[in-house]
Amino acid sequence: MTEPATWTVELRVPDEADLDAAGESRTLEVREDQSILAAARSAGIWLSADCQQGWCITCAAKLLEGEVDHSNAKRYYPSDDEAGFVLTCVGQPRSDLVLEVEQYDELLRHRAEHDKPPGRSKLG
Amino acid sequence: MSDDKPHAAGNIDAGDTSERVGMAVLRERGLDPEELREKLLDAIGAEFTTYYYYTNLRMHLAGHEDYKEITEDARLEDRAHFELVAPRVYELGGSLPNDIRDFADRASCPDAEMPVPYETEGFELDELTAESILEVLLEAERCAIRTWSEICDMTQGVDPRTYDMAQRILQEEVEHEAWFVELLSMERDGEINPAGHFVRGEPGDAPLSTNRRFNDSA
Ligand code: FES
Ligand SMILES: [Fe+2]
Ligand SMILES: [Fe+2]
Repeated sequence: MTEPATWTVELRVPDEADLDAAGESRTLEVREDQSILAAARSAGIWLSADCQQGWCITCAAKLLEGEVDHSNAKRYYPSDDEAGFVLTCVGQPRSDLVLEVEQYDELLRHRAEHDKPPGRSKLG
Repeated sequence: MSDDKPHAAGNIDAGDTSERVGMAVLRERGLDPEELREKLLDAIGAEFTTYYYYTNLRMHLAGHEDYKEITEDARLEDRAHFELVAPRVYELGGSLPNDIRDFADRASCPDAEMPVPYETEGFELDELTAESILEVLLEAERCAIRTWSEICDMTQGVDPRTYDMAQRILQEEVEHEAWFVELLSMERDGEINPAGHFVRGEPGDAPLSTNRRFNDSA
């Protein structure tokens, strides 16, 4: 049994986010078998989330550097991947990462532009 | 007296029906009523889709009459949850989407689909097990717990009416999770993991969340 690999993940929190860490950046270690959200929350960074099943997009983030595995997501589209959106509740690191967190509004707009739910029904 | 909580919503003219004090008071307390309303629509979208999908899951538990009974309670209670909160959406100036597809698309929890492929002939029933259905049911309840907990967080101390509804639903969702933990533990692992509950009064009783029981007006 080999130990799961661990990656260094930097979370950049936008100024306008409703989090203690707004305007700051936090760095944590995330195992490859762990979701970014779970690791962040256990490190005391209470990122927004709802379903925690990769469906609702409340937990969206933007990938600035690195690679994320989304095989546990219930609803994740190739167009999300191409635009560099991450669902932190199910996303697991496959490299060191830099993420801009709290990107729900941005992903919602992106989904609407690509005629995908829930953007198309909420903004459409 | 606190300055940031002016109770008199005096900025709405007497007789003005274009605005609602019921929304203004939330805004005054720092809760955006439109944001809450959108969240409630997502949440009851999930209750509604779950009610539909549980119908299908329950039918396919043929021969497991005990599982069917429990799934029936959970199914009917999700309809009760939808009906409890739908009026609140209107009070907050919203409405149900015209197209049911929009309602399903925006549901805050995944479709609780049958855990086998659906081909032209129908479901691949050879591959279907009670265990796999119970897993879908369990994860659906867990999503509901997360959603209603979020709504409790948003409304606690600010919007007693929505909070009251959300906490009632949350209590039942916690019960639902316990039921499916018990059933799946035994079905899959042969493990005794009691929910510790007594039986519902009637199928889908929704003891805490049935609209008419405590809220005749809605
Ligand atoms: S919390 Fe719903 S997609 Fe991540
Ligand atoms: Fe429910
Ligand atoms: Fe439920």
